[in-house]
Amino acid sequence: MAEETVASKSMNLRMTVYAALFTALIIIGGYISVPLPVGPVPIVLADFFVMVTGLFLGFKWGLASVALYLFLGILGLPVFAGGRSGLAVLFGPTGGFLLGYLLLAASAGLLAGKGRPSIARILMALLTGNLLLYGAGLPWLKAVTNLSWAGTLAAGLIPFIPGVIIKITVALILARTFLPRFRERLVSS
Amino acid sequence: MTLFHYIHKDTVLHRMDGRLKLAALLFFGLAAGFSSEFHDYLVAFSVLFCALLLARLPVAALLKEMGFFGVLILIVMVVNAFTIPGEPIPNSPFAGISQQGVITGLRFAGRLLMVLLLSVVVTGTTPLARFRDAVEWYLRPFPFLPAARVATMFNLTFLLLPVILDNFKEIMAAQNSRCVQLRKNPVKRLKYLVFPLLDQTLRRADEIAYAMEARGYSEVRTRATFKSTKTDWLMLAISLLVFLFVLF
Amino acid sequence: MALLETEDLTHVFPDGTVAIEGINLKVNAGEFLVIAGPNGSGKTVFARHLNGLLRPTRGRVLLDGEPISKDLIGARKKVGLVFQNPESQIVGQTVAEDVAFGPENLNLPADQVATVVEESLAAVGLSRFVTRSPHALSGGEKRKLAIAGILAMNPKIIVFDEPFTGLDYPGVVQVLKEILRLHKNGHTILLITHELEKVLAHAGRLVIMHGGRLVEDGKPETVISRVENYGLRMPLREGEKVGSLTWLK
Repeated sequence: MAEETVASKSMNLRMTVYAALFTALIIIGGYISVPLPVGPVPIVLADFFVMVTGLFLGFKWGLASVALYLFLGILGLPVFAGGRSGLAVLFGPTGGFLLGYLLLAASAGLLAGKGRPSIARILMALLTGNLLLYGAGLPWLKAVTNLSWAGTLAAGLIPFIPGVIIKITVALILARTFLPRFRERLVSS
Repeated sequence: MTLFHYIHKDTVLHRMDGRLKLAALLFFGLAAGFSSEFHDYLVAFSVLFCALLLARLPVAALLKEMGFFGVLILIVMVVNAFTIPGEPIPNSPFAGISQQGVITGLRFAGRLLMVLLLSVVVTGTTPLARFRDAVEWYLRPFPFLPAARVATMFNLTFLLLPVILDNFKEIMAAQNSRCVQLRKNPVKRLKYLVFPLLDQTLRRADEIAYAMEARGYSEVRTRATFKSTKTDWLMLAISLLVFLFVLF
Repeated sequence: MALLETEDLTHVFPDGTVAIEGINLKVNAGEFLVIAGPNGSGKTVFARHLNGLLRPTRGRVLLDGEPISKDLIGARKKVGLVFQNPESQIVGQTVAEDVAFGPENLNLPADQVATVVEESLAAVGLSRFVTRSPHALSGGEKRKLAIAGILAMNPKIIVFDEPFTGLDYPGVVQVLKEILRLHKNGHTILLITHELEKVLAHAGRLVIMHGGRLVEDGKPETVISRVENYGLRMPLREGEKVGSLTWLK
């Protein structure tokens, strides 16, 4: 067998393990959630870990990790925020946000680029990702709950803005500290 | 921790064919999502409770550990009761509670409880490997989908979920013992929590990947054998009936 | 011909750190070899080359005279590696499932996998734990489970990377007995450790690594007098013999 295929097999295994562990992190991020007294969308760390997953694993594997997360939830395992699960949640008020996780991970992975990570690029990637996340989540929330636009924004956006800013900041610092070493290690083996 | 862990016993539920159990889980999950009337909940919960007894799971210990989710359910109920607009409850000691709010809250809590009980029964009676094999079996016919790889990911995620969760609790405890709560800056607080968690998780991932490779990991592997009995089909039929009852 | 041989084995990390350099080692079938060295001397990196987990920057590893790069799966069957941290080796939710991982990778028929799992668990005395969660086992039992997982691949050589780390006294005794039994049954043993006092009495040869190089190689009785030159504690007191270096009574 050629050296090449052995190396790529071993790389695939590594990414498989990483993707599985990031899925576990996203699930845990959903458990440490605080429901807010303003609407049906609880504040969670799941979206934070989705950002990190995209940044670290890139487009393909980041997407795979989030897809696995959604798949487990659809199967009926209690992985969504606060231990919920099932297709009903996916079609419920917060379903748009869950599907938006795919967009968030994908754009974080795609826009942050490969080589040496630059702060500006990562920031842009995370901002775009979050715009897409809320772009998918808010209209969905409005459609399912029949709220007015003002009501939708009050329930699904405004209370989360401080949290999102904090999460993006920490994700940025995290990427700057870990990402160069992480990528180096990936290439080395 | 026994919650969401496999507990080995020899019962019909433990022996059930993983493929049929997965389908039953799906039906029941849908039933939980569509439940809205009192009789829906009554039927679904009765069946679930029978399953819990049939599986001979340690009910008392499990209920105790569900306390965490209990608090969550309570919060959701209270929030709903106060925020959903509607008729005020006559002679209520709390101002601002609406009838509609209480009903919505109860519904929501009922669904959450149902999903939790369901997962307790399923995870308590199904070895992870059988679950994984069933998932792989369903995915195999799909083209362009690496069923074996998804199955491996499925396995690793659930295998390591409790380990990472313990890890997370340990980090929290270590930080609290150094008075992290005195830090006002939320960015710093999140940072101190997430950095060690990510660092340790990545290290663990590296080691697991090496260990799997050392034992010759291959996606072309021994295929599971399945066998289903009449009882298995009966249980699948019951869950389908519950779903249909709730739907109509 | 040596069973296992390394020629000029060298590994340089991408950041330029030299992990191991120019290691030449020949191991014959049936040997019990202890490889000692302080932390950071390259022992673990060396071990991970023996079954091709890491690929050398220079040099090669030969098994039965053939370079392992020709047949990596074969190398992983023949050279079993027990990792330092048994937690990270566990890939099954139950003991039996974990042991089955290796034979399932080899795509053996299901009934054969079951037989192999049974035999391997019986060999290390864990049969009564088949349905137990590996995380519920004691430290010593976890190491034995890792050994069973490797026995299921039917290896010739077993490499132990710091097998005593984090074990209490009964745990060390349990694992040590297991290693000796494996050696008696004809397995070739390479044991990496810095805790010579626990095991050296049973070894036929002592190799010392320091700063990524192989600096000593010989009979334990002769090499032991020089260990303090390499950042290892001299485990013998005045008048004691190497034969006293064991935690078995």
